[in-house]
Amino acid sequence: MEHHLSRLPDNTALRQQELLADWLHFSAKEVLFIFFATGVFCLCMGIILLLSAKSTREMEINYTKICANCAKVQENVFNFDKECTCSNPFSLTKKMKGNVYMYYKLHGFCQNLYRYIYSRSNRQLVGKDVKAVEGCAPFKMSHNETPIVPCGAIDNSIFNDTIILSYNVNSSLQIKVPMLKTGLTWWTDEYVKFQNPNTDNLFFSFYFIILWGYKYSYELDKKGSKKQCFLNDDFIAWIWTAAIPTFKKPYQHLNRTRHFTEGLPAGNYSFSITYNFLVTRFHRKKSVILCLSYTVTGAMTWLATFSMLAVHMGLKNKKSLHPFHQHWLKIPLLSQLWFGK
Amino acid sequence: MFCSKKKSLEVERIVKANDREYNEKFQYTLIPEISSLTWFTTIVPLVLVITMTAVKDATDDYFRHKSDNQVNNRQSEVLIDSKLQNEKWMNVKVGDIIKLENNQFVAADLLLLSSSEPYGLCYIETAELDGETNLKVRHALSVTSELGADISRLARFDGIVVCEAPNNKLDKFAGVLSWKDSKHPLNNEKIILRGCVLRNTSWCFGMVIFAGPDTKLMQNSGKTKFKRTSIDRLMNTLVLWIFGFLVCLGIVLAIGNSVWENQVGDQFRTFLFWNEGEKNFVFSGFLTFWSYIIILNTVVPISLYVSVEVIRLGHSYFINWDRKMYCSGNATPAEARTTTLNEELGQIEYIFSDKTGTLTQNIMTFKRCSINGRIYGEVHDDLDQETEITKKKEPVAVSVKSEVDRTFQFFDHHLMESIKLGDPKVHEFLRILALCHTVMSEENSSGQLIYQVQSPDEGALVTAARNLGFIFKSRTPQTITIEELGTIVTYQLLAFLDFNNIRKRMSVIVRNPEGQIKLYCKGADTILFEKLHPSNGDLLSLTSDHLSEFAGEGLRTLAITYRDLDDKYFREWHKMLEDANTATDKRDEWIAGLYEEIEKDLMLLGATAVEDKLQEGVIETITSLSLANIKIWVLTGDKQETAINIGYACNMLTDDMNEVFVIAGNTAVEVREELRKAKEILFGQNRSFSNGHVGCEKKQQLELDLVVEETVTGDYALIINGHSLAHALESDVKNDLLELACMCKTVVCCRVTPLQKAQVVELVKKHRNAVTLAIGDGANDVSMIKSAHIGVGISGQEGLQAVLASDYSFAQFRYLQRLLLVHGRWSYFRMCKFLCYFFYKNFAFTLVHFWFGFFCGFSAQTVYDQWFITLFNIVYTSLPVLAMGIFDQDVSDQNSIDCPQLYEPGQLNLLFNKHKFFICMLHGIYTSLALFFIPYGTFYNAAGEDGQHIADYQSFAVTMATSLVIVVSVQIALDTSYWTVINHVFIWGSLATYFSILFTMHSNGIFGIFPNQFPFVGSARHCLTQKCIWLVILLTTVASVMPVVAFRFLKVDLYPTLTDQIRRWQKAQKKSRPPSSRRPRARRSSSRRSGYAFAHQEGYGELITSGKNMRAKNPPPTSGLEKTLYNSTSWIENLCKKTTDTVNSFSQDKTVNL
Repeated sequence: MEHHLSRLPDNTALRQQELLADWLHFSAKEVLFIFFATGVFCLCMGIILLLSAKSTREMEINYTKICANCAKVQENVFNFDKECTCSNPFSLTKKMKGNVYMYYKLHGFCQNLYRYIYSRSNRQLVGKDVKAVEGCAPFKMSHNETPIVPCGAIDNSIFNDTIILSYNVNSSLQIKVPMLKTGLTWWTDEYVKFQNPNTDNLFFSFYFIILWGYKYSYELDKKGSKKQCFLNDDFIAWIWTAAIPTFKKPYQHLNRTRHFTEGLPAGNYSFSITYNFLVTRFHRKKSVILCLSYTVTGAMTWLATFSMLAVHMGLKNKKSLHPFHQHWLKIPLLSQLWFGK
Repeated sequence: MFCSKKKSLEVERIVKANDREYNEKFQYTLIPEISSLTWFTTIVPLVLVITMTAVKDATDDYFRHKSDNQVNNRQSEVLIDSKLQNEKWMNVKVGDIIKLENNQFVAADLLLLSSSEPYGLCYIETAELDGETNLKVRHALSVTSELGADISRLARFDGIVVCEAPNNKLDKFAGVLSWKDSKHPLNNEKIILRGCVLRNTSWCFGMVIFAGPDTKLMQNSGKTKFKRTSIDRLMNTLVLWIFGFLVCLGIVLAIGNSVWENQVGDQFRTFLFWNEGEKNFVFSGFLTFWSYIIILNTVVPISLYVSVEVIRLGHSYFINWDRKMYCSGNATPAEARTTTLNEELGQIEYIFSDKTGTLTQNIMTFKRCSINGRIYGEVHDDLDQETEITKKKEPVAVSVKSEVDRTFQFFDHHLMESIKLGDPKVHEFLRILALCHTVMSEENSSGQLIYQVQSPDEGALVTAARNLGFIFKSRTPQTITIEELGTIVTYQLLAFLDFNNIRKRMSVIVRNPEGQIKLYCKGADTILFEKLHPSNGDLLSLTSDHLSEFAGEGLRTLAITYRDLDDKYFREWHKMLEDANTATDKRDEWIAGLYEEIEKDLMLLGATAVEDKLQEGVIETITSLSLANIKIWVLTGDKQETAINIGYACNMLTDDMNEVFVIAGNTAVEVREELRKAKEILFGQNRSFSNGHVGCEKKQQLELDLVVEETVTGDYALIINGHSLAHALESDVKNDLLELACMCKTVVCCRVTPLQKAQVVELVKKHRNAVTLAIGDGANDVSMIKSAHIGVGISGQEGLQAVLASDYSFAQFRYLQRLLLVHGRWSYFRMCKFLCYFFYKNFAFTLVHFWFGFFCGFSAQTVYDQWFITLFNIVYTSLPVLAMGIFDQDVSDQNSIDCPQLYEPGQLNLLFNKHKFFICMLHGIYTSLALFFIPYGTFYNAAGEDGQHIADYQSFAVTMATSLVIVVSVQIALDTSYWTVINHVFIWGSLATYFSILFTMHSNGIFGIFPNQFPFVGSARHCLTQKCIWLVILLTTVASVMPVVAFRFLKVDLYPTLTDQIRRWQKAQKKSRPPSSRRPRARRSSSRRSGYAFAHQEGYGELITSGKNMRAKNPPPTSGLEKTLYNSTSWIENLCKKTTDTVNSFSQDKTVNL
């Protein structure tokens, strides 16, 4: 008898497939409610985003063509060490009130190429082992068999234009707008991901090729600064490869002192650009952007459009469903005929 | 013997399925140029998949092995070294002499040497082999039967048998035994086949001629085929398609790469410094092709196979665990012996069922009787009486307690009263029951009467008489002794007019102590009513009504008659019979004529109704399965009458049917003609049909079928005999047969051999393209169980062969309803949902890379982190979908049973097919588009809220991955219709796991240890604190899920399927919780009379009157009568001849091989 009992399956909810459960089955009401709720939410978000997008101001100056002569000079191989500077005057009709950020933007520059994105050495960049250059081809070793620091294609193709923004206080006085390079990187960048190599060795061989020239890595910033080497903000911003070919990267932000405590006042400005990064060689464009406050313009516009679309859809569904729903129920036969079911 | 070699097969299948990805995985490790994923991204899931499959297969095999051992390790007594020793079945070798005991299974094909019964007789039951329930006689050669139980002599037995090679013919055997310088021919009568059970014989010895796989039973069981479900096949096709799709994507991207390299990439060489050799853009395209094949390989779902296996395993366990499929009677739970076929249970279109032991219990009970125009045993028809019965539910019995057979249950007290009052008609009726039969009696050690019956029907009648006070005590060849209400009376048996198939009746002529000569006759009513004395008119019509009533309840009926003979007439007749017996030619006809002459002017006494007890719930099950549009065919080795009777009893055949076609022709021409006629009736005269033997194109034929199926209205049934089936299965009539059979509501095939059963199944399987299920309990069903898509064995009985060959087993036929309508339906539903979701998920996941390809110069850059790719399918998203695949329910089990129509989507294969696959694919593609382009739009020209960088690749990857996981989780949440705790845990748990793993892998610590493997440090932290990223995720989710919700809602609302309606109703019902309504019991409505549907065999009359089967302890007094009546040597030949005839008729097996 015990044997018999033992063969009787256990009467547990799991085994008898009788677990307490909720049937998920939406009624018309529930679906309509979900649609309505989502619609309302998206609508609100959309309005907020649209408004904020409108209030943002952005100013983009494409200097590819303006500085075309510089490009020509630089493209000549023999002039690789010649500096070429060009100036782009522009005027602000309205003042930019708030934090102003300066970005550089590259059009169609594929930083997301597979071979490019992995041509770097995180071990080297974390400052542990300067000789760790395994993944860095083709920028591994320099001709005298010393490791390139930093190695890899990303590091060695760094954006190296220098952009200086000046403000014409009046026709004769032109002052340099005070800009800061701090706060453009993440906390992890500064304290975890990037560390300068041991400074004892810093001076003996650390240089890297910047496209068509070379530069010692400690030349990235003033001597003695912490930002001389890998911790340089420009360097870090560049090494965070962009996801899509057209991207902008933070360059500097306004130091709100003196004339500029409120932001950039209206008036005439000019960018003076030391032209080094040769986009013309691969038929691309570059621009400089001044932007107000937290500007996620692109994102915001997109989001807003999509939200509106979603709302629209939601409302449309709601509209079409409610009356029709009743209607269809009344004449199911017709609907069957209609769709030839 | 049943040991499977499946392991290698199954493993091979898995390996094959994963072959393609497998191969590629090695290619990229060899060529570093095209690696864009690290080795672990594909190896880890692969190893996991293979390990799990291997573990599952191993456990499967282990359990299979265990149950095989059960049979192989059965013990039998083998004579080794002049001693009887217990030996396992599998160790029984050819040439061994083994001893069998009563009720034991025969382990191998044996040559019978000697037995406990006189003349070396032994009785066997062949129900396992052919489904026939009556006992059969085998007898040993006289030379060997002398050996008896003398072990030393048996051990010295050194005969040599020369015989045919192993074959599958159950009814034929030819061989010669050479022993002691003489040769003895051997035929089937001296052979006991494996699968038989020894009955009424306390022991016998036999020499093994065929053992193991050579036995006729095993030769008949067909090949074990590896079964796969249609979903499996579809899945493999789809995987191939997906692979093709993958190659297409690869080619598109490779071309893109070549063009890009040619047009644009050249300009980027300045900072990539490519080698000169690589500047060739065609070569670059080639490398890109392979890189993309590797990246996009996740679209070919590796974990699909293992997930499917896991789900099926889960479903199998649910079957094993189901208490509603547990039979407490013999303590047998249902068992899924194969764990790979579950969803096919939801697609069954044809069920092929055995009769004996499957539909019926093989127990006969005396249910009711009509005596002199009065019905006794009326229990279930009247409400008042029913309550009365429940009050005093004590079976009626007049006999002394010790004489009562416990199993007998007869509830009518009116009969008791009549007996006590001494109603002569009632007494006479019971006397006939006690006298007119072929039962042998015996006293066991405790002094109880034991009846040895050759047909269970007779057993039921004699037992009934016994319990009602007319106890059959003993018999000699000339006398029958019965106890009539306490007084012992001995009747002199004057003649025994045996049963045969044409006569459909049997009679005895006895002289009672008063000296009167009486003829007692019982037989088929249809025959006997023609032989009644005209004075029976009123009684005849009354009894006739009663018989109709009995038949309406599916009972087997017999008419009971008698005739008073005067001495002189009998003497004359007896003289003629003696002459006839000594005649040389036309003896049989002569005797038949004499029988005919004396069995006339009979006086009707009444009728009996014996129930061939159906298994519990058979009618309900059949009704419900028919409602589910499943066609049920009965294939039985039993006689046509019995089969038809059962057909009526289970409501498969009804009086409402327009026509019941019986095909019983003996030649091909006859069969063809019968089929043609049937079709003419079916389709009406205006349509003339080709005979089918002209090479008519199959396609046309099929189209014809479709047209016809719509035009035929009304219920038809087809009954076909085994010997006709042999002709009908020939190629040219096959189509006709199939067409006709499929048009009929019910098909009954009787007298079919095991192989024919398999052939019928194959026929339907092949030409109808339908999913078939075969259910049976005996060894004769093994071949059909093996050849059907799903084989079900009835377990809990003695025979294990069917169970061992089966895919599922349970104790009662009625569980089939639950197996199909609940478990099968759920399995199919779950599997389809699972597959839809799985393909959708993989497309959504993988195609993002494709879109990204257009924006990264086709450089085979992945969108996600490599770790994410590795873990996505096996950690982040596997469990919720598995939980859905295992636990989901659309409607509750009760509703699936109550509404069998819900089963139809499975038969029509509606829930997952190529069309559905394309929808899933489109869904996946749409989601991948939303997943890619919404973040793309956001990241286009974007910067962080505080001026920090945000549009970088790593943030992009994190955003996409998070969106993907959330979208996919929301989708599974919507797909899951039955939210159990487990679903909650898995879905929420997966999300939690995703985030915790994400943060861990992007943490400082892990970066500190492996800076090159985990370069994403800080990404998650920074990214997911940005509001806009969350907006993106939200928007992506809404955009990819809402249209689907809308679409589904509209579909459910506008075109609700039956399932949707039931679900809506179910929801409403849950709120109000009304008591669940039960469907009313299906009532039988048939008024058909049975023929003499007894499992009766001719020849026993002679055996009895010759006294050969009676024990030596009460030697038959030799009387002149016996000597003159029967030629004492002829009885055994006669018996054998007749037995062979009947066997021959059912096993004209034309085609041997399947």
